[in-house]
Amino acid sequence: MTTISVKVEFSGGLELLFSNQRSHAVTIPSTDPTDSAPTNLQYLITYLRDNLLKERVELFVENETVRPGILVLVNDTDWELEGEGDYVLKDGDEIVFISTLHGG
Amino acid sequence: MSSSCGNPQAEEDTLMLRRTKFDRSKDCVRCKERAGNVVVRHAVYCKTCFVPLIAVKFRRALDPHINPLPDGPRRKGLKAAGSLLLGLSGGLGSSVLLDLVNRTYFDFSPDAGGGDDVKSGAGVKSEPRGGRDHPRNASVWPAGRVCYVETCAAFPGARDRTEHVRRVVAAYDRLEFVPLRVEDAFSSAWWARVGGAPASKDLGVDITNQDLILSAASTPHDASESESDTPASRLQRYIRALPTQTAIPSAVHTLTRVLLLYTAAATGASHLLLGTSLTSLSVSLIAGIAQGGGFAVREEAQGVWVPGVRVGAGGSGSANGNGHENGAVRVVRPLRDIGMKECAMWAWWHRLVVVGREKFPGAKQSIGPLTKEFIVGLERDYPSTVSTVARTCAKLAPKKGSATTTNNNNNNNNNICMLCERQPLSGLLTTSSSTPQRPAQDGVQDWKARISIRSFADAGSFATYRPPHFPERDLSITPSPAPTPAPSLTPFLCYACHTTLTSRSSRGTTVRAAPGPTGHPVPLPVWVGGNLAASPPDSGGDGGGADGRREEGEEGDVGETWVRRRMDPASMRVVVADFLLDD
Repeated sequence: MTTISVKVEFSGGLELLFSNQRSHAVTIPSTDPTDSAPTNLQYLITYLRDNLLKERVELFVENETVRPGILVLVNDTDWELEGEGDYVLKDGDEIVFISTLHGG
Repeated sequence: MSSSCGNPQAEEDTLMLRRTKFDRSKDCVRCKERAGNVVVRHAVYCKTCFVPLIAVKFRRALDPHINPLPDGPRRKGLKAAGSLLLGLSGGLGSSVLLDLVNRTYFDFSPDAGGGDDVKSGAGVKSEPRGGRDHPRNASVWPAGRVCYVETCAAFPGARDRTEHVRRVVAAYDRLEFVPLRVEDAFSSAWWARVGGAPASKDLGVDITNQDLILSAASTPHDASESESDTPASRLQRYIRALPTQTAIPSAVHTLTRVLLLYTAAATGASHLLLGTSLTSLSVSLIAGIAQGGGFAVREEAQGVWVPGVRVGAGGSGSANGNGHENGAVRVVRPLRDIGMKECAMWAWWHRLVVVGREKFPGAKQSIGPLTKEFIVGLERDYPSTVSTVARTCAKLAPKKGSATTTNNNNNNNNNICMLCERQPLSGLLTTSSSTPQRPAQDGVQDWKARISIRSFADAGSFATYRPPHFPERDLSITPSPAPTPAPSLTPFLCYACHTTLTSRSSRGTTVRAAPGPTGHPVPLPVWVGGNLAASPPDSGGDGGGADGRREEGEEGDVGETWVRRRMDPASMRVVVADFLLDD
C-alpha cells in the first residue's frame, strides 16, 4: 500500500486536543481503503479524529467535517478555494487547522 | 418533505440557497494577478493584498474617533486628547487588535506596516514623510497601556494567565502592561487606587427580593471571618448568588468592562479600545438583546462613557484628566468590520501568540455560548449574514418617548445604570453633561410588571396595585407595604442588570446562596456605593424618590405614562353597563 506524508499543524487552542503538540507529521494511505478513491482532506479529518485526537471530539468534528469556527489552510491557502473536504492530498502538503473560538 | 401545515409548492422557494464560497475566479479580486489565499465574504484575496485590506478597515473604524472633535478634518494629522488603554482578554480579537495598534500607532520601525513578516507581503506603512521626528509624525497617543483583567477567581479551577499575558505584552516595548483582577471590583483598595470618590460604602443587597433591598455589607464577626472577607471571597459570594447560568458570564463581563472603564479614566485615557470583531459583536448584540440589553444595543458597538463619580483625583493612578470634557472616555471597537476569520488569518500569518481565555465551564447551555454557536455556524454557511446583524443593530434606536430621547431633548444624556454604568448612546460628539445622575430606563419596573409572568407575591413594592383577577379572599398574601420604605437598588438599574440579578431559571440551574449562608447580604461592586453616594436624593428610578417608589400616575418626564387605578365594583358596572345582558 502506497502512502503519503503530510504535515499537520494546529493553532488557536486546537493543539490542546492533540497532546498539546502543534505540529504533527502524518503518514496516511494514498487511497481511501473504503472506496479506493485518492485520499482527500475529508479522510484526513476522520483519520485525525480516530488516531490523534485525545479528548473532546465535539470540539473538532461536527457532522463529519470540522466544526464551524475552525479554519483550514492547505499550503497556506484557505481550503474554501481548494474544494474543502474534496481536496486530494499530495505528498508533502501542509495542512493547518486554526480555531477561531478563542474569544475576543 | 413539507410540514403538515405548510405550502409544499412555496416551501422549496423559501429556502435560502447556499452560494458558492467565492465569486467567479480564484484570483485575487484586488490585484487581479496573484492566486487567492483567503476568501472573505465571497471575495478572494491574496496574502499580499489581505494585509493592507485589514489595516485599512482597522484605521477606517478608528481614525474618525481619535481627534477630540470626531469626524472633523484630519488633514493636520491625528492627535488624541489623552492616552490610550487597550483591553486585552487574551482572545483572538484583542490579540489582533494589540498587534494592529502597535504597528499602526506605536511602532515606528520601517517594517511595522504588517507586511514584512508576512512572506511575500508588502508593508502598508513606509517611513513617514518628513522623517519620524517631524511634528506631523508625532505619536497619536502620548502613552499606550494594555489592561488585562484576570477572571480566574470567578471560575473555580480556572488557570491564572496573567504572567503569560504579561510576556505577550512585553514584546510590545512601547506599551505598558496594566494587570487587574476581576475581584478588584470588590476591593476598596483598587477603588482608592483609581481615585474613586466619594469613598465607596460597603453595600450589600438582598438578591432574593425583586426590590433588591440595600443594606450595609456585613461586617466580620471575628478575626477569622475578617481574614476570609477578601475581594475574592466577596466576588465568589456575588457569583454564587446569581440566579442563572447565563447570569454568571454576563456578570463577569460587566465587572470586567467597568474595571476597564475606571482604569481608563484613572490613567488619563481618552480612548478605550476593545478587540470585538464583527463576529463577536454580532454575538454580543444578539445575546445582549436576549438578556434584556436592547436598550443599550447601539452602545454595544461604540459609545462614550462619562465617569459617574469623580475618579482619577487623589488616587495613585490619577492623571490630570484626559482632555475630554468631564473625563469622557471613548469606547471604540476598531475590529467591528473585521470578522473572526480575518482575525485568525492575520494572527496566523503574523505568528501572533493568542493566549486564550477562560470560559465558564457550566455555561454551555446559557444564552452567550448558544448565540455564539449559532452565529459561528451562520458565518460558515452564509458569511455575509453576520455583518447584516451588526448593520441592522446599528440602525436601532430607543423608542420615542423613552428615557434616552426624552433626556436628549433636555440635553441630559448622563443616565446610567449604577451597576453596568451603561449610558444611552448620544453620539460621539456629545460628551458633556453636568446634570445629575439619573437611572437608565425610566418606567422599566412598570413595564416589567406588565409584560412578565411572575408570582404576584414576588412582585415587590412596585406592585402597588392588585390585579383585577386577584381574588378578594387572597388579600392576605398580597405583599403588604413596608412600614418604612427600605432603600432599593432596583430603580437604579437598567433592565438587563435587574434581570441578571433577579430573573430565575425555570430549571433552577444554580443554587441560590443569597442572601448568604449566614444571612449576610450579597456584596456589590465598589462603584455601586460610589455611584449611589454621588446620586442626588431625588433621582430614584421610575421618576420617584431615593427609595425608588413612584406615585401611581405621576407625571414625570417620560413620554409614556401609564395610570393604574383599582376600580370598585360599582364603577366597573358603570363602565360596562352598555354591554351587560339583562337578567
